[in-house]
Amino acid sequence: MRRGSIVRITIYGVIAGALASLVAVVVPWLPTSASEEMDRITFVFWFTTVICIGIFAIVMAVIAYSILKFRAEPDDERDGPPVHGHTGLEIVWTAIPTVLVTAIAIVSAVVLAKNDDVGNNPLRIAVTAQQFAWKFEYPGPDKVTSGELVLPLNKPVKLTLHSLDVIHSFWVPQFGQKSDAVPGIETTLTITPTKLGSYSLVCTELCGLGHATMRAPVSVVSQADYEAYLKQEASGGDAPGGSNDPAAVFTSAGCGGCHTFAPAGTDAQVGPDLNQLASDAQAAGEPVEDYIRQSIVDPNAKIAAGYQAGVMPTAYAKSLTADQIDALVQYLVKGQK
Amino acid sequence: MTETVHVQHDQHGPASPPPRGLGARLRAPGFLRAAWVMPLFWAFGFGVVVFFRWLGHYDPTVDWAVITVVAFLTTLPIGFLTGIGAFDYWAYYISGRPTRPEDHSSHGATSWKDYFKVNTDHKVIGVQYLATTFFFFVAGGMMAMLVRAELARPDMQFVDTQTYNGLVSEHAALMIFLFIIPAFAGLANFAVPLMLGAPDMAFPRLNALSFWLLPVAGIMFLAAFLAPGGAFATGWTSYAPLASEQPLGQVFFNMGVQWAGASSIMTALNFLVTIITMRAPGMTFWRMPLLVWANFTTSLLVVIATPFIAGSQFFVMFDRILHTHFFTPDGGGYTLGYQHIFWFYSHPAVYIMMLPGFGIISEVIAVFSRKPIFGYRLMALSLMGILVLGFSVWAHHMFVAGLAPWLRVPMMVTSMIIAVPTGIKIFSWLATMWEGRIQLRTPMLFALGFLSMFVLGGLSGIFLASVPIDIAASDTYFIVAHIHYVLFGGSVLTIFAGVYYWFPKMTGRMYNERLGKLHFWLTFVGFNGTFFPMHWIGLQGMPRRVADYSAEFGDWNMIISVFSFLLGASTIVFFYNMITSWHRGPIAPGNPWRAMTLEWQVSSPPPVFNFDEIPQVVAGPYEYGIPGARHAILSGGHAEVHEEVKP
Repeated sequence: MRRGSIVRITIYGVIAGALASLVAVVVPWLPTSASEEMDRITFVFWFTTVICIGIFAIVMAVIAYSILKFRAEPDDERDGPPVHGHTGLEIVWTAIPTVLVTAIAIVSAVVLAKNDDVGNNPLRIAVTAQQFAWKFEYPGPDKVTSGELVLPLNKPVKLTLHSLDVIHSFWVPQFGQKSDAVPGIETTLTITPTKLGSYSLVCTELCGLGHATMRAPVSVVSQADYEAYLKQEASGGDAPGGSNDPAAVFTSAGCGGCHTFAPAGTDAQVGPDLNQLASDAQAAGEPVEDYIRQSIVDPNAKIAAGYQAGVMPTAYAKSLTADQIDALVQYLVKGQK
Repeated sequence: MTETVHVQHDQHGPASPPPRGLGARLRAPGFLRAAWVMPLFWAFGFGVVVFFRWLGHYDPTVDWAVITVVAFLTTLPIGFLTGIGAFDYWAYYISGRPTRPEDHSSHGATSWKDYFKVNTDHKVIGVQYLATTFFFFVAGGMMAMLVRAELARPDMQFVDTQTYNGLVSEHAALMIFLFIIPAFAGLANFAVPLMLGAPDMAFPRLNALSFWLLPVAGIMFLAAFLAPGGAFATGWTSYAPLASEQPLGQVFFNMGVQWAGASSIMTALNFLVTIITMRAPGMTFWRMPLLVWANFTTSLLVVIATPFIAGSQFFVMFDRILHTHFFTPDGGGYTLGYQHIFWFYSHPAVYIMMLPGFGIISEVIAVFSRKPIFGYRLMALSLMGILVLGFSVWAHHMFVAGLAPWLRVPMMVTSMIIAVPTGIKIFSWLATMWEGRIQLRTPMLFALGFLSMFVLGGLSGIFLASVPIDIAASDTYFIVAHIHYVLFGGSVLTIFAGVYYWFPKMTGRMYNERLGKLHFWLTFVGFNGTFFPMHWIGLQGMPRRVADYSAEFGDWNMIISVFSFLLGASTIVFFYNMITSWHRGPIAPGNPWRAMTLEWQVSSPPPVFNFDEIPQVVAGPYEYGIPGARHAILSGGHAEVHEEVKP
């Protein structure tokens, strides 16, 4: 290999590396971090990116150089030199990648250990997932539950995840951390929020037809606001936004993800139109209140014309309290014309 | 070996005259016989279910879920295979009737009709495989176009969410089980016996049966759209317990995988026996072309791994129709067990979908760089390294699944290490090109496209092997980007390279080079425009498999959709080129690429029994640059035999 070709291929490599670095810098690859864990994930991400850009640049430089330099004329029928290999070179390109991936693995393992470490006194919040809604149960004497995840700033949180039906997955992009909620086992997740603000929790494991709509609001607030939130939730059972407020239950249980219901302002068309329940009940030959209650706790018992059994989640009898179901039934009855 | 084909045979066309008379035609193997045999088999399945449910006082007696599985998805396909004659020889043999003497009437093809019959010629079967798999490639591609149309804007426009989930699942199932895996099997079916200097595969009838299982599986997947509640909609991963609760279309996936898997396993056994026992004299393992090595390792993967996905799909289906509790915690089942069994197949399956492509690329790069493969032995050994390591990385698909925490770091380390043999292959290809005399013909363009795209797919794989990054990136569009860089930028580009490379050999005609290059560039641009932006919209917060998404990703999704339509349109150029060139392309010489491997030393297309004389292999397959060097000697070859050059 002559000196001139080394210089040229180096130039190609630098150009390829610069272009790749430009793409890496200009494009907003990661969401703005809002947790200590995401800060560390961001670090591993860029550590890996630097190594990968190096490898990418070398491969691209060799391809580009070969195409430009070694391209044969169309009528050139000669062969290249009969080189069968080079043991030294083969050892080099076995050893160097081994070292690089080992380095990435070590950094990753250290970060993983730190991201799993929740400290001695975390805030413990129980997360329950079901098709297609999230429920959060906060610690404290009042056992507050809500459909919104509110976290105090800079306090390590240990989430314990459960699922009532199929597998779901908890992800807030800005927090980085993700874990499936699996029926039958408990999984955990550690998050230490570092930035005030509102975020969105999305389900990332395909869980049925409402999967895309299975989201929940998340906010990070000051410790004082967090305590105020819990107090308000605890006292305001029947008040607007409280745990028995039927409009809030309708929203947090995810009804609007599949159903149209004018009072709640939803227009999804996966399941039957809830404004028409009176006529559906008539068709089923049942009093409207009984029909609605049965359809919530045992949705496959009666199926409205034009819809399939086995589609609506069956876990509401478990996930909603008797008071909440009563309130929801009344809310839906009132919504009939 | 039931059928040893002797090379002394003269050319045979399908010799036996078509049967006369309606009775004889109805009894002769073919679609006509299938038409009346299938209802009988269906009725048998129906009868068995109803009789035993009646006997056991089960309610309801006529349970359509069970009938679907037994009558529609099991006995009906067996009836089809019986009807077209896939079992005739064995049935005669088992029942003690005299087996018909082999007249090779089902060998070779003289008209297009012969491609619609049970044929035992590996070259015909190879073409049957490719035509069938490209049909399902189009079907799966159309579904991808519908998916991209729906995703072009936020909110719902064209389909409802259940249909959307069905389209996504069908797209993946068809592309994986009915396109990539069997398309490689088709290319290898055509090329491997020729490369070995063998007259056919070791078990030609088994080979025919393996092929005919494929349309069965494919039609089963497509028929799921007709099931009440729509097609299976749980992704190609079909995770329990969702898969046992979804509408009935799900069992079409559970059963379709069985048929496609059976096809895979039979073909793999056939390849293994062929490669081990039917190499031409002088063809030692270290003289085999790398395509043969690649299919040898792939076949080992298939034979070892595929039974696991078969089991996982049976268990999920039993949870539904037999009310077992393999994966449902209410009855003591273990939900994560499904994922362990599933990925114990489906990670090796990634290599099943990749290693044959590595083999194709090795052939193409050596031939079009006019140089020996750099580090041939290490190339073969790295395939074996991937084979072994491939079974130790499955849990990296489960880093966020609630996996035992201690299992994550070991699985990360193995997943990182498997990048090393893959890297060896990339660097060896680069070194093969170095100082070569590169001819940028269409197969070589696809090979170079593969090299650059697969490097990106491999590098994003390193990100995903790192547990902390994977936790953020899992189940997002980053995964969608990664899998398409590996399976499209990797596997599909190599399939295109292989189809262009062997097109002259298969059809006896040359494809159109300009259209081939146009196809490459449209594919390359469409592909990158479609899949590259998915990396960052995924990391920023767009989950995979969603019909609707947050409005902030609307612009990128519009760009992605536009490029995906370009990518879809690029295949029109490909099909136009293939069909018109096959019809009236220039006649191909026996060895248009001046390649050394054995398939190029016979006419294009090859004689019915491949070689008129057993070839004598005298050196490695890539001895370019050595004056007068030969890989093998045919037809009393008088060429000087050079000493094998030590690699």
